[in-house]
Amino acid sequence: MNVKKAMYLSENMEQIARRDRIWLNNPVIMQGMGLAPLIIAATTGRNALMLSVAVLLLLTPTRVVAALLSRKGQYKFRALLYCGTSSVLYIGVYFILKSIFDVEILQLGVYLPLLVVEPLIIKRYERPQPEKIVVALRKGVRTSIGYVVVLMLMGCLREILASASLFGAPIKQMAFAPLPLANLPAGGFILLGVVCALWRGAVKAYKKHVHMEAKRGL
Amino acid sequence: MMEVMRACGVFLLYAVTAIFAENAVFGRAMGVSRLVKLVDDSTVDTLTFGGLMCLIQLISAPLAYLVNGWIQPYSWRSAVRPLAFLLCSTVAFFIVLALVLFLLKDKARQILAVLPMATFNTAVLGMMLITTTQSFTLLQTMGFALGSGIGYLAAVLVVTEGDRKLKNGMVPASFRGLPITLIYIGILALAIYGFTGHRISIG
Repeated sequence: MNVKKAMYLSENMEQIARRDRIWLNNPVIMQGMGLAPLIIAATTGRNALMLSVAVLLLLTPTRVVAALLSRKGQYKFRALLYCGTSSVLYIGVYFILKSIFDVEILQLGVYLPLLVVEPLIIKRYERPQPEKIVVALRKGVRTSIGYVVVLMLMGCLREILASASLFGAPIKQMAFAPLPLANLPAGGFILLGVVCALWRGAVKAYKKHVHMEAKRGL
Repeated sequence: MMEVMRACGVFLLYAVTAIFAENAVFGRAMGVSRLVKLVDDSTVDTLTFGGLMCLIQLISAPLAYLVNGWIQPYSWRSAVRPLAFLLCSTVAFFIVLALVLFLLKDKARQILAVLPMATFNTAVLGMMLITTTQSFTLLQTMGFALGSGIGYLAAVLVVTEGDRKLKNGMVPASFRGLPITLIYIGILALAIYGFTGHRISIG
């Protein structure tokens, strides 16, 4: 790593980590948000893809519209505002998903409509100060991408482990499914726990490496 | 008399099923994001949260049952169901709000801070979606709603106790916090899976 870059990263690590919703401060890995669809419904790559499209269509617009509306509303009822916005937007999202994936969205069961009250989408209501529209847009996009990354990773990983296939196509090199448990809720919890630990370990190692490089430069 | 006993039996059966075999947390991962926050958050009283959630579920469940009956004939029902059920939760929210303000004047502020969290979460909406999509009767719905709330509270207490014991030096640094909590919930979910002996559908 470039010493100059390492020194910059080391000095601003806290700020960078706070802004980064994909790698250093992923909403799932670091904050434990959006776990229900991830653990139960994201059992295959295809399911994860459908959930990803739903989150991409729902999260940022909800956050932006709710930020706009919450400027005049009372803080006490902001939860209602965020949930109301997401459930109204869900009507459009549902028809878009139906036109793309048709009856396949039924595979997601109740976990598709559950997104409207998922903390990943509505958690911002808990903070008393209203959010600026630009900030809502920026954070919404970053959070969506961060969530989609974990969603796709988990969906593909679970499909490979539980059925030795990827997006429905069997993997020829795999003679058997190494972990059929990955398809179950229990397997989802355990696998996500292990992925979380590895991810967090990698982030910790990266931060340590940056600080070491910066020290060496000094 | 037999009819009353049979109704009580159905109610209890669905309540017990929702507490154990189809536990909202261990079987369906509903409200897990909130649960992992609750475990670490000392400012929120677990019993208050659980009590409020049970109350919200009991009030909103029959409303959701009625609303679902109205929208059932329409082809767009799946698209509007979350909005319709959210309105049911909102009615429950205001009923509980009025009750708290009327009955518990001194503690009202503390309880009202938790009320939105206990109302607008995946466990409450999930319960309404499950009972309606699986065509439960009103009695079954009420039993499932009560059991679901109690089951969630039991799960929070079990995970809180487990989390207290998991905070020791034997756990590798990377696994501390959220990862070990998820693995712990996974092992408990596996135990329930072994106990019930079937796979719970996501529908």
